[in-house]
Amino acid sequence: MRIHPARRSRAASIFSLAFVVSLVAGLVAFAPSPLRVARAQRSAIDTYAITGARIVPVSGAEIPRGTVVIRGGLIAAVGANVPAPPDARIIDGTGLTIYPGLIDANTNLGMPASQQPRPATGGAGGVAAIIAAQQQATPAVSSPNSSQPVGLQPEILAADVVRPGGDQIEAARNAGLTAALTAPREGIFMGQSAVINLAAETPQQMIVRSPVALHVGFTPLRAGTYPGSLLGVFAAIRQMMLDAQRYREANAIYEKSPRGLRRPDQDKSLAALVPVLARQMPLVVYADRQRDIERALDLAQEFNVRLVIAGGAESWRVTERLAAAKVPVLLSLNYPRRTTAETPEADPDPVRVLRERANAPKTAARLAAAGVRFAFQSGGLSNMNDYLGNVSKSLDNGLARDEAVRALTLRAAEILGVEAQLGTIEVGKIANLTVTRGDLFARDRRITHVFIDGRPVDLRPVPPTPAGGQGRSLASGTWTLRVQLEGQPERSLTLTLQQETERLSGSIQGDLGSAQIANASVGASGDIKFTVPITTGTQTTEATFTGTISGNEMRGAVTTVGTGAGTFNGTRAGGGGGGGTTPPAATATPTPPPAAGEGTTPPPSE
Amino acid sequence: MRKLISLFISLAVLVPAWGGASAQQRRREGAARTEPNAAAATETLIRNATVITVSRGTLANTDILIRNGKIAGVGQNLKAGERARVIDATGKYVMPGIVDAHSHSMSDAINEGTLSVTSMVRIRDVLNPTAPNLYRELAGGVTTLNILHGSANTIGGQNTVVKIKYGRPVAEFIFPGAPPGIKFALGENVKQASRTLQPGQTRRYPATRMGQEEVLRDAFTRARNYKRTWDEHRAAVAQGGRNLIPPRRDLQLEPLVEILEGKRLVHAHCYRADEIIMLLNLADDFGFKIKTLQHVLEGYKVAKEIAAHGAGASSFADSWGYKIEAYDAIPYNAAVMVRAGVIVSINSDSDERARRLNIEAAKMMKYGDLSEDEALRLITLNPAIQLGVQDRVGSIDVGKDADLAIWTAHPFSVYSRVETTFIDGDIFFDRQQDLARRPELERERQELLRAEANRPPAEGGAPPQPGAPRRRPTNHHDHDDVDHGEGDNNR
Repeated sequence: MRIHPARRSRAASIFSLAFVVSLVAGLVAFAPSPLRVARAQRSAIDTYAITGARIVPVSGAEIPRGTVVIRGGLIAAVGANVPAPPDARIIDGTGLTIYPGLIDANTNLGMPASQQPRPATGGAGGVAAIIAAQQQATPAVSSPNSSQPVGLQPEILAADVVRPGGDQIEAARNAGLTAALTAPREGIFMGQSAVINLAAETPQQMIVRSPVALHVGFTPLRAGTYPGSLLGVFAAIRQMMLDAQRYREANAIYEKSPRGLRRPDQDKSLAALVPVLARQMPLVVYADRQRDIERALDLAQEFNVRLVIAGGAESWRVTERLAAAKVPVLLSLNYPRRTTAETPEADPDPVRVLRERANAPKTAARLAAAGVRFAFQSGGLSNMNDYLGNVSKSLDNGLARDEAVRALTLRAAEILGVEAQLGTIEVGKIANLTVTRGDLFARDRRITHVFIDGRPVDLRPVPPTPAGGQGRSLASGTWTLRVQLEGQPERSLTLTLQQETERLSGSIQGDLGSAQIANASVGASGDIKFTVPITTGTQTTEATFTGTISGNEMRGAVTTVGTGAGTFNGTRAGGGGGGGTTPPAATATPTPPPAAGEGTTPPPSE
Repeated sequence: MRKLISLFISLAVLVPAWGGASAQQRRREGAARTEPNAAAATETLIRNATVITVSRGTLANTDILIRNGKIAGVGQNLKAGERARVIDATGKYVMPGIVDAHSHSMSDAINEGTLSVTSMVRIRDVLNPTAPNLYRELAGGVTTLNILHGSANTIGGQNTVVKIKYGRPVAEFIFPGAPPGIKFALGENVKQASRTLQPGQTRRYPATRMGQEEVLRDAFTRARNYKRTWDEHRAAVAQGGRNLIPPRRDLQLEPLVEILEGKRLVHAHCYRADEIIMLLNLADDFGFKIKTLQHVLEGYKVAKEIAAHGAGASSFADSWGYKIEAYDAIPYNAAVMVRAGVIVSINSDSDERARRLNIEAAKMMKYGDLSEDEALRLITLNPAIQLGVQDRVGSIDVGKDADLAIWTAHPFSVYSRVETTFIDGDIFFDRQQDLARRPELERERQELLRAEANRPPAEGGAPPQPGAPRRRPTNHHDHDDVDHGEGDNNR
């Protein structure tokens, strides 16, 4: 391994990590080490080189054509003239762009949800049943032997309850995200967050940093428990902060000389607030409205604590205070949208609501102009495809491109205190990378590779949003394809396609790797074309499929860059052609869709 | 031109109401702003009005000079500087800004009803300066509000007195120097007798008026003990005690200690004569005063006792019979109490009624033959006294804050309406400005409707969904004893 000379000075600035890297690299090269053994147990391959790609390191100038070497989970080398190590799995990065792995700066990924028992059907229904259900709800997380009720337990650690896997984490990875801040979902003092990497087999492997911040929501407790209103929320926070101040003071006095003093009660809830009071740990307060942001600022000022605003829809109205107090914003990309397809005349929105929607994509640029540090977060987006899509809208509304990339990477890392590990493509940092074909913010951009902790992750299709009103679909469905490339054994892959008019999206999965298709089109006569990166042996290359669909059959030719040409043919699973809305059969005995008006009676509306 | 329009609109977005950009915004927008609030006008001369001073009768053909937010002169032929804003009010009336001693207008939460004693909660924490009702109240000539906690529990939260500086940051709303206060509540709302309990939910104590007295006595006994604990600690520190762990600060008891020390005003929601007497006796026992009795619909039965205690009374004009403890109410209540020497005010307790408090006060000339000045005092000087801000507002006198409104006719006429409302010499409502701004708002709406984010989803997006019927917020806190729409707050 070789650290490119141009990178040395930067590597030196984070010398301790770089030192470790060099040390590890040396050991890897010349002697077996416990580290290496441990890694070997996980995967035989730990060295990758993405060659010939455009590199946006964020820490420095863009490299138009260069190589990133990944070894042992870390970035081993980056630069224009870096050779790929002989033992590396080579990925041809021609036409690709490598960004630092994107970071979602606030999520609940991997966090348990509270159990809401369904209201009993029959008998008392309506509001009463819902309230009863809330009262019996099992909280997502609660701390044993806490002095405080559920919802006011700052001692809860996300790291103690986080779970790897799941659809949401997968959807985030598919959207190009590699790491996230995650925090418990509920409460006033919700608990302490952790930065996690989004691909790991165990909770322990996920954690990058914990604890990061104490998360606070101005949300009253339910079921008649104090505080049951916004009024009480502030009083309860204030009382606990005061109690924590006294707890710190009392324990300091007692530890100095316990004799003759009544022993202060141990209280882990108050103890958890002490690092906040000491400004070692920031508060992340969920606040979208101007007045909630101001309330958070007032609170932080009152107790002299560090503050981060999460949400921040109206943060552009408070930029002067935010900038003066150096309070960063974790800006939600969950922009409000008009959800009904009715004409605006049918149900006019107040101007205030219209302004909110129009302002959402302008907020980032306004924060940047005012010198308020911000990073992007998903804010509960239901469709993760909108993550980068909504950043693009911010670009259309004046946000500079490099500011946007920064807000997705380094800025998030800085605000979350992991800038020594994540956020840039620099030697020694964790090898989290997001690789795209096309610019990150281009409409036709495609995430081709995601590396997390130095390992490529399988990218599976994002479940399509239910599409309405579409016509006949020639191509939609799940296809089984057999691909015969010149001089290679026949391979099998599953192709999933979603067709919306002539637009086509989808993904492949199987012997040739997993990837989303691009440049896809289907004509009225059934001629289909798409390109997709495929992995043969150690190389990833791009293949173009050109063919025709006839009923539930598809056949045609494959051309690739470098590995020659071939042919393919396949059939659609379940024979669900022509419908487009019929989901692919999941079992061997598909149940027929229910006839209209039966089976899925919607609940009566109130 | 299109660019100009969009600039105009973006400015309009920045400035929610022309009356109230922040100082910084005004600096930034400088030239673009031409409304009368422009920084240049530190002087205003209102000429030739009929001035209802409240304190010194009504003066015909009189000028009012406003300088630096204060009333600098009231008289004939006053002179102002060259750059002064001059308003010809010939044929018009000027009266002091109305003071509403019982409002929930700008509060994001009304009740913390989970406990019987919630003296630790503060209305100050939950003020919403953008509530549209504030603007409507300005249009009714109201300038000062007493924002109170609701009546769900015996000892409610700490209130805040505000000036309606609509459009300004919330900190500018806080009435400077107004003494702190707190809400108490007695009677049916606190009993929660009519509340439907959910399965597994226990009824919150107290369920009777007896229990309410006990809650108060218990709370003030605890407050006394708390004060003693701290006094002892301070004494020990003063005597050179070292390594002493200080007592816990208790935010629930601190305001009660302030009441015992006479530093916090008590505004007590009450209806029946017996509970009024109970509260006055209890306050005497603990050595503090009740500043105002709120609603106090049976006040006429015990007017002498109220006057003897020195409590004020803040009531409705003619609302009665809307619940069991309001059956004995009479519209002569206010007049009877006034004649007994009680400081009486008429309040709104409602965002709607707040816009026409002038008419509520006028009714008191019909019921009980109050004089015009006595009736005017019910919504100006008297509530100002009840809130401890009578040196600042409540009458048109030299040296007081320039909080006043210009009316097209005598404010006791149903045909009168407010032309302009001033607070601290700045205009926060102006009818002509409002009318002039409407086409601009309509233009903005049309522009916004064309914006990407406000268009319905394109075809092929999410399927059309029936729009949920939009629920207009009623925000109508009549009598503050109905549920305040705060979800579980009252439970």
